[in-house]
Amino acid sequence: MRGRRVLVSGMGSELGSLVATMLEAEPWVGSLEGVDVDPPRRRLRTAVFHRIEAHHRSQVVDVVTRFNPHVLIHIAVWEPDARVDTAHAQIFTQEAATSFLGAAAECPALEHIVLRSGASIYGRARGSLSRPDESAPVNPTTEFGRMAAQLEAAAADVSARTGVSIGAVRLAPVLGPHVPSPLGRLLRLPAVPFSALADPPFAVVRDSDAARALVAAARVGLAEPVNVVGPGAITAWQAILRGRRLPIPLFGPEWAIARRLSHLLGAPVPDHVVELLHRGRLVDGDRAKELLGVAPQHCTSEVIDRLFEWPSVIRVAPARAMVEQQGLAS
Amino acid sequence: MTSNGADVIQLESPAARRSPLGQALDIASRPVAVVWPRPTVDGWGRDARLIDALAPAAHLRWNVSVGGEHHLPAGGALIVVNTRRFALTPISTALALGEVLGRPVRFVGRPDTVPFGPFLRRVGGLLALPAEIAGALRAGELVILGAQGTSNPRHAGVVDHALVAAAVREHVPVHVAATLSTMISRQARVEVAAAIHPRKKRRGPLAEVELAERAQRRLQDLLDEMGGARTGVPGLGWLGEG
Repeated sequence: MRGRRVLVSGMGSELGSLVATMLEAEPWVGSLEGVDVDPPRRRLRTAVFHRIEAHHRSQVVDVVTRFNPHVLIHIAVWEPDARVDTAHAQIFTQEAATSFLGAAAECPALEHIVLRSGASIYGRARGSLSRPDESAPVNPTTEFGRMAAQLEAAAADVSARTGVSIGAVRLAPVLGPHVPSPLGRLLRLPAVPFSALADPPFAVVRDSDAARALVAAARVGLAEPVNVVGPGAITAWQAILRGRRLPIPLFGPEWAIARRLSHLLGAPVPDHVVELLHRGRLVDGDRAKELLGVAPQHCTSEVIDRLFEWPSVIRVAPARAMVEQQGLAS
Repeated sequence: MTSNGADVIQLESPAARRSPLGQALDIASRPVAVVWPRPTVDGWGRDARLIDALAPAAHLRWNVSVGGEHHLPAGGALIVVNTRRFALTPISTALALGEVLGRPVRFVGRPDTVPFGPFLRRVGGLLALPAEIAGALRAGELVILGAQGTSNPRHAGVVDHALVAAAVREHVPVHVAATLSTMISRQARVEVAAAIHPRKKRRGPLAEVELAERAQRRLQDLLDEMGGARTGVPGLGWLGEG
């Protein structure tokens, strides 16, 4: 088991760099490499990072096949309106899936792929399960859900052709101090809209718990989907009041205006967040402990509380004395 | 400055950095925030605090006496109850049992449309889907399943074997609970019986079909044993029959 070569696609992201720091501490990881378009957000001590855009497929294939990983952790998934708009998120996710899964399939040593998927893959069509478990049918009703379904289908195709095992970690909405999240941005606005008629419950997961689950999936060789979600649930109304924001009840048609206003205020609301606010998003995460050996440590309400405790932009005044000293010295 | 010479930047608390507008919103929303300051929904969407708030209203409508609750296990179980049309029997039984047992009791049969669907979800409703019931039973929950509604309160309706199948697959016990209530009186009774077992061990779908039929028969026996409800009004006692 020791001395495994692990490749992390999307290592530059907040979640990717968190996973990389955890992998560096894992005794079974022999060498660690990562690829992303952005440099890692954290200081990595032993990992090797390659800054390559996913659509430069030949470069990706060169790097990946030269490394010849045993395990691929595919985190290069763009949530709509997290860092880019929905159209670009679709394109980037598709390109990354093609390049990384395709390149990994060419590696003779590859044994296992771990995917970062999402709970929105189950969809919230009318009459769908309130709290789907891993055996529930995949029926995405939002763009992010469809992206996750396409990613899992592409990975299943690689598995069928090469025989490697695939483990999809279906994460609830990930919130953390630096994680770009449309839900987190919306909830942090001074005034937050919510569905007055439904106000359904939803659950989230903290970034560190999500990263721990991805690392555990790679360690145990997860070969099936698993839901990862913080215990408990909360409604938008309760979250808004905990954050001492102004709740704005909406009933239907005015949502279109609210979405545009929110976009203008810097918090675009993609369709999977609208669905979460209208229809809720709960998943059954009871099998995480059994399949991964770890379970999320932070409950949904704690994650929401931390969301409101994040500092906004910190402006640090320059150390004047030091500046003046340097000025005098020069 | 720390012992290793590093400068430590002390960050202000978010509250202290708030803009005047933010502070005004904070003050304006403070009275509202104390109304519902903590999350009270569980992983299924049941809101314990809402149920507590609704309890006085429920007591105004129903005065339920519960018996046989000691038959119920600490883990998950499916409880089949007889239902009279328009009597909201699964809801009243779930609320009464939940109060007596001090643990959440859910019921099957909420719609998935606003506004009733979300409201019933908050009081413990589940969709009438085998997978939904199976998930709750697997999580160790008590789930009330209503038999088909009848116009006569002393008749047990047909029990849907497709929904009972969830209990068979999850290997949890199936109980029946006879309920008796009237349209005009507050008095109601819930009597929970011991778990029922199929006469023959089946490997296929006959297991749930026979278990559902047995549940209906056991329910009918219980209702016959309980006798009819009476209003207590001289000359109008028959009104209690429905």
